[in-house]
Amino acid sequence: MKKEVLLEVKDVKKVFPLSTSWFAEKKYVRAVDGVSFTINKGETFGLVGESGCGKSTTGRLVNGLIKVDEGEVNYKGNDLANISEKEWKKYRKPMQMIFQDPYASLSPRMKIKDILMEPLTIHFPKMSSSEKQSIVKELLGKCGISEYHLEKYPHEFSGGQRQRIGIARSLILKPELIIADEPVSALDVSIQSQILNLMKDLQEEYELTYLFISHDLSVVEHISDRVGVMYLGSLVEVASKQAIFKEPKHPYTKALLSSIPQPDPKVKREQIVLQGDIPSASNPPAGCKFHTRCPLAMDICKKEVAQLQQVAEDQQVACHLY
Amino acid sequence: MNQLLQVKNLKTGFRKENGMQNVVHGISFHVNKGEIVGIVGESGCGKSVTSLSIMRLLHDTPGEIVDGSVMFKGEDLTALSERQMKKYRGNELSMIFQEPMTSLNPVLKIGRQLRETIQLHLNMSKKEAHQHAISMLKSVGIPRAEDVMNDYPHQLSGGMRQRVMIAIAISCNPSLLIADEPTTALDVTIQAQILSVLKDVQKQNEMGILMITHDLGVVAEVCDRVVVMYAGRIVESATVEELFAAPKHPYTKGLIASVPKIGQGINRLYSIPGTVPSPSNMPTGCKFAPRCSQVMEICKIKEPELIQMKEHDCRCWLYQEKEQEVEHIEKGSSARG
Ligand SMILES: Nc1ncnc2c1ncn2[C@@H]1O[C@H](COP(=O)(O)OP(=O)(O)OP(=O)(O)O)[C@@H](O)[C@H]1O
Ligand SMILES: Nc1ncnc2c1ncn2[C@@H]1O[C@H](COP(=O)(O)OP(=O)(O)O)[C@@H](O)[C@H]1O
Ligand code: SF4
Ligand code: SF4
Ligand SMILES: [Mg+2]
Ligand SMILES: [Mg+2]
Repeated sequence: MKKEVLLEVKDVKKVFPLSTSWFAEKKYVRAVDGVSFTINKGETFGLVGESGCGKSTTGRLVNGLIKVDEGEVNYKGNDLANISEKEWKKYRKPMQMIFQDPYASLSPRMKIKDILMEPLTIHFPKMSSSEKQSIVKELLGKCGISEYHLEKYPHEFSGGQRQRIGIARSLILKPELIIADEPVSALDVSIQSQILNLMKDLQEEYELTYLFISHDLSVVEHISDRVGVMYLGSLVEVASKQAIFKEPKHPYTKALLSSIPQPDPKVKREQIVLQGDIPSASNPPAGCKFHTRCPLAMDICKKEVAQLQQVAEDQQVACHLY
Repeated sequence: MNQLLQVKNLKTGFRKENGMQNVVHGISFHVNKGEIVGIVGESGCGKSVTSLSIMRLLHDTPGEIVDGSVMFKGEDLTALSERQMKKYRGNELSMIFQEPMTSLNPVLKIGRQLRETIQLHLNMSKKEAHQHAISMLKSVGIPRAEDVMNDYPHQLSGGMRQRVMIAIAISCNPSLLIADEPTTALDVTIQAQILSVLKDVQKQNEMGILMITHDLGVVAEVCDRVVVMYAGRIVESATVEELFAAPKHPYTKGLIASVPKIGQGINRLYSIPGTVPSPSNMPTGCKFAPRCSQVMEICKIKEPELIQMKEHDCRCWLYQEKEQEVEHIEKGSSARG
């Protein structure tokens, strides 16, 4: 069966100016530096990497919160990278976001009911209040929040409940693609597993496609079908979940995997402890950006950028070793 | 004597308008010389309050030790004056926090902060202290240690700052280090570096470590023994092997099962229903009862004791003689009624 591509991100770039004093030399951060991947309909694409590597920026480029400098964002075959603000309106509904901190993303002075009805009011001005209420109630129920909470304010909920509300809100307009930026990172493990299960259930029920952004590889492994590993603004490996976690190829992916503390004292594994710090994104190393920390770096790595190459069916790696 | 730290029946609370509200409810545990003991639990269960109680750093919060003792090398820390306590802190007894930026002075160079700690506790000249500081920075894996001495905290990355904190904390060769979520704010590859540094210095100095974390992976990786806390109480404690191989308490079991494990290949994760109760709204009986899948009648009425079973303690009616207790309660209530 041929899979339907919902989103295709092609060589996307985004540069942010760094605010330095006016007389200093102008500096830039290459937050996203030529990123390409595709997401099939109904799949979850996990984007992992360490702090500042450009995961959130990639998510925001996809849903148009910030404008792409170069490259294409094709949604169902339409390039969104260069369309006008007005044309964007069409895509606001099918693409929704879930954020890490549900507290910051829910307006503190609005009741849950109003927070959830707001998108309907904006997009369907003619919809009756009772119809809106019934949509809201149904979705809240599906997200595990009972009806009697409708009149409450966000601060009256726990972190996990607020994330459920955030998820319910993202589903109100029946989206196709959900961009979830660290949706469980602020939650305790017992709550995290509740939310991950909920996201899986909703995906099945509403045929959702997820771009799931996280720094936690265990969470990404659990929820994703395919995974992209980012380092300093670039994807270093893109592959099926099985390939990434069973046969990682890129030295950075390997190090990242070996760094996760395993919740099992019997597991004794070969750990690759990387030397040195993550370089600053405003001054990335030349050639392969990972060469300053790579245990396998060769001469060529310092000079030439390694491009993403197909190394197996559904596995691409950017490394001179392959 | 092998026991370095012995916490006995520690109760800590915060003053509220309507009196004291306890958040740590009579916990007891110990750390042996050269041993790494983990305290694990979800946010708000009282891990940080416990560590601040041991260090007697509650006055900023404003919390108070209500009862119990903290024996450190035979001395009860709760009975010391602030002046006496200062001699211990940063010397025999040291602590690192989750956010190193809050505990480093932003306007002082790294070198000066290290040197001053060293001079405060060790009898060294300025020059000797300077050399010692550099060697400490090197021992925690800081490259270009001489240059870093001249840097301000904001010039360093999060991982480097945490290394500096560790260097300061171990500079006076403490016998006990309390590390409260030392790697929670760091990236995994940096976390791996820091944990390996901690394990190295621990081995070299035969230091005891009290490792406070919410991360079961970190516990499994570094600890010898584990204490599991829930709602300000210890619900289970055992050696790390035993705890992960044969957890007893339903909360511990649930916690271990909730964590996604790589290669596990399951579609749904185990999840504990509900949320942690707030200190002002604690259930009577077992505090875990509203979320427990094995809850029984007695659990809702009476809180179980922490029972010792061969180096493996557990606070749960499933492991206790509940029949007698039920009779007790029934008699008691009918007598009262
Ligand atoms: N609006 C902005 N202005 C300037 N720089 C920015 C802006 N947004 C992001 N950056 C920079 O771009 C880089 C990538 O940031 P991004 O937030 O995408 O990282 P991330 O992978 O999501 O990190 P984290 O895991 O910490 O959330 C970083 O160096 C960041 O400082
Ligand atoms: N300064 C404070 N004032 C009042 N309550 C506090 C204060 N600090 C912590 N608490 C409460 O004490 C309990 C335990 O907190 P803490 O020890 O910080 O938990 P954790 O296990 O996450 O470290 C929580 O209910 C928390 O809300
Ligand atoms: S290209 Fe070279 S430096 Fe980069 S990951 Fe591969 S081997 Fe390492
Ligand atoms: S005492 Fe009862 S409610 Fe509490 S953990 Fe044990 S079985 Fe569950
Ligand atoms: Mg981010
Ligand atoms: Mg804490």
